[in-house]
Amino acid sequence: MNKKTWACIWIFLSVGSALAQQERFRKSPPIPDPLPLLELPKIESTRLANGLTVAVISRPDQPFISLDLIILAGESQSPQSLPGLASFTAGIMSRGTLLVSAADLEERIDAIGGDFSTTTTPDLSRFSLRCLDGFLEQALEALSQMVLQPDFNDREIVALKRTQFYELKQKQRDPEFVGRRQLLRVLFKDHPYRQSFFSEDVFRNLTKKDVQAFYDLHYRPNNALVVLSGNLNLLTAVKRVSHFFNVWPMKETERPPLPPLQANSEERFCFVDFPQVKEATLVIGNLVYPLTEPDYFPLAVLLQVLGGTPYSRLFMNLREAKEYAYSAFSGLELFQRCGYYAITAAVIPSAAGASIREILRELDRITRDKVSNFELEQAKSYLIGHFPLQISRPDQLSRHISEILAFSLGDAHWGRFTDNIVQVDADRIFEAAQKYLMPKPVVIIVGDKNVLLDALRDLDRLEVYDLKGVLLHTLVKGVEG
Amino acid sequence: MSKLYTGLGLSLFFFASLGVSAGQEASGFPYSWSSFTLKNGLEVVLSDDDTLPLVSVVVAYQAGSLNEQPGKTGLAYLLENMMFMGSLNVGPMQHIGYINRVGGEPNARTTEDIAYFYQTVPANHLALVLWLESDRMKALEIDAAKAERARQFLLDEIRQRKTAEPYLDSQLAFDRLVYPDFAHGHSVLGREEDIQRLGVEDVRAFYATYYVPNNAALVVVGNIDLPGTRELVEKYFETLPPGKKLPLFLPPRPPEKRPVIQSFEDSLVPSLAFHMGFRIAPPFSRDYYVLGILDYLLFKGKSARFYRKLVKKEGYALYLTGGIEKRKDVAVMKLFAVNNNTAMVELCQKSIISELNKLRTSDISAKELAKAKNLFKRDYLSRLASPVERAMFLAEMVFSPIGLDGLPDELPRYMRISPFEVRMVANRYLVPESSVVLNVNTK
Repeated sequence: MNKKTWACIWIFLSVGSALAQQERFRKSPPIPDPLPLLELPKIESTRLANGLTVAVISRPDQPFISLDLIILAGESQSPQSLPGLASFTAGIMSRGTLLVSAADLEERIDAIGGDFSTTTTPDLSRFSLRCLDGFLEQALEALSQMVLQPDFNDREIVALKRTQFYELKQKQRDPEFVGRRQLLRVLFKDHPYRQSFFSEDVFRNLTKKDVQAFYDLHYRPNNALVVLSGNLNLLTAVKRVSHFFNVWPMKETERPPLPPLQANSEERFCFVDFPQVKEATLVIGNLVYPLTEPDYFPLAVLLQVLGGTPYSRLFMNLREAKEYAYSAFSGLELFQRCGYYAITAAVIPSAAGASIREILRELDRITRDKVSNFELEQAKSYLIGHFPLQISRPDQLSRHISEILAFSLGDAHWGRFTDNIVQVDADRIFEAAQKYLMPKPVVIIVGDKNVLLDALRDLDRLEVYDLKGVLLHTLVKGVEG
Repeated sequence: MSKLYTGLGLSLFFFASLGVSAGQEASGFPYSWSSFTLKNGLEVVLSDDDTLPLVSVVVAYQAGSLNEQPGKTGLAYLLENMMFMGSLNVGPMQHIGYINRVGGEPNARTTEDIAYFYQTVPANHLALVLWLESDRMKALEIDAAKAERARQFLLDEIRQRKTAEPYLDSQLAFDRLVYPDFAHGHSVLGREEDIQRLGVEDVRAFYATYYVPNNAALVVVGNIDLPGTRELVEKYFETLPPGKKLPLFLPPRPPEKRPVIQSFEDSLVPSLAFHMGFRIAPPFSRDYYVLGILDYLLFKGKSARFYRKLVKKEGYALYLTGGIEKRKDVAVMKLFAVNNNTAMVELCQKSIISELNKLRTSDISAKELAKAKNLFKRDYLSRLASPVERAMFLAEMVFSPIGLDGLPDELPRYMRISPFEVRMVANRYLVPESSVVLNVNTK
């Protein structure tokens, strides 16, 4: 016997003896106790005389108050010539009011242990203020001053343009952000949702008049809701909120219906040149439209099977088996009028082409063969077990609930969420796959063209974009066409 | 040994005696916990929270970059990765798989002094997590192929970080200046040339020395039954053998008090910048608490002094960040600013010195101090907001010099700081003769 064989025998014997010596219970995972009951906090809501909806989640144990004011107007309401206007308008609110300067507002928020942020999505603009318990009064006062008496000061407008420009430049350092933005630009084409996925230079053209017009049109109590969570109840909340917001006049707001959407159906490959980036980032996805409520749940389970965790198909295939990728996941995002799924993978540049083929093969496989019972139960178990984790922080809880209310998702996504997932079976997943994953997805590749384009020569047609999303040229079998 | 504390009771007593305004009450640590030590030296902390049917488990080892030897940097971080590559009864990646299958979130983090392994799962899967964690504490499977894979992951991460963070190289150079001893001055990421040379025996030795029960803490927070959880913990961990006596870790000699100014040339940075730092009082010392509040006054929040003055008012800095950084027994107050040109760098540094002069010569107002305290309190309590964050916090406290016993009075200590104390610590530590400056120039 040679040295190698002896070594193998020695390893076998030592592992074998270690396994034999250990206590029996160490050899396999323990059987779990029964699933504990999930008691979700109650959402109570009412509407004030001026149409402002107030919702409360009482959490007496929390040392914080979370306050979210949602304006039901987002980037899809920005005029076509002014993308970014909704984000800019939301951003300028905290930059001073008629009576309080921007610096004073910051001072007041800091003084209550506050944390203020704004977010704008295609559907809504959100103002989130979290502060220490005991400062509800001060928080509401600051928020009402921002929203009811904005100043739109010229100096602050100039400063905000600079800030938002740099913030977006910063985000653009992330290839996944760039890839996802490009995907949504392609998917939404001429739809108003396309307005959300702008580049940093859009702020240059915005004027005070534009901001004022957007504000006048959309910032109304009957187009807004306030969600509070913390050590308070609905009665207290209504009393305090109406004290500060009852002077906000109601006015009819126009919200023209959004045109219908259509999923992509043609093969489409887009390359975004990101100079000097070391890896290739793939973002592959499509619209899921119209996504009806019962379809949401099988689709969520389906995308979980495909790439929800490091133990799902994509990760196990691209990273563990083929070693092409650092990561590979899939997920489902909801907007008010549609959803979209996206597969994101960070891959080794030389394996970009092969990774795309593998991902498309996995998509194809899941539309052809029903998922196994093991995978189905694993995915459902994940979604059910993970649900409370998504609301374990107070800020997560109020964000989740404000989305449910803003999108009118109802109890299906709250109290009945677990039941809805439990009821998903392999047949419903198969139907969802056929319905939503059959149309050909859009494939976005982000990377350094000097490194990557060679590896993508095989593609019949490849659109090449710069970082801002400007189409530079189209390659046909690697040759500029 | 067993201890049972109710932080809430102690803090309410404190609140009553302090009589401060609403929102400023000192809430100490408003959660109950119990702790005990197993025969093998493993410190265990249990804390019940039935808000949601979840449980978070943290296993923390005192095994950070501070424990690495010269030429072996990156080892602590590499081992963090290897902890997911399989143990005696758990295959590679299966740890993540088991946790994910039940909807849980596994994760890990290595700092200069502690490696944390943490996960949150539905409460009925507590035994699963204890089984997984005890298996990798008992017998991690380390072989050359796995070590090689972990080395590649680490090298890839360093390359990615260097691309994404243009000032990373200068930051590492600054750390070597501000922490002149090897142990504190090198990064958790490690040096690429050291990582290339790390062998499987190095990994085995590090694991055998530091990943042992007598160098670890196990914290369980969530919807648990305390006696049942203790039973489970004993079942899975009590029979694990303790490791050998741990190598002695000697605190470094304090560096000489003299200003250090150096330059760093980097062709990849987009703008001129500088790092500035002051060696301050050791963590958990009396002055450290005062400096903790001063940190908030200078750096945290949108109305913090430095941001408001240097970025908003004077415009000398395009970007500015800073705060206290602690590496086990040593702490530094750091500042990093990005500037347009050399003149702005100079003006910015002068302006910082002048602001610190003001702090040394006059008391801050009660209003400004209250604001800094509330911001501090916000962040302190945020670290307790979810079960997993609370468990991480408790694990850190187990290894801290004040231990869990000091927990109920931790937040109140910060809340008691006076303007006079702030002035005194500014005089003691934030002085030009103990400053370290690294100017980052574009080539």
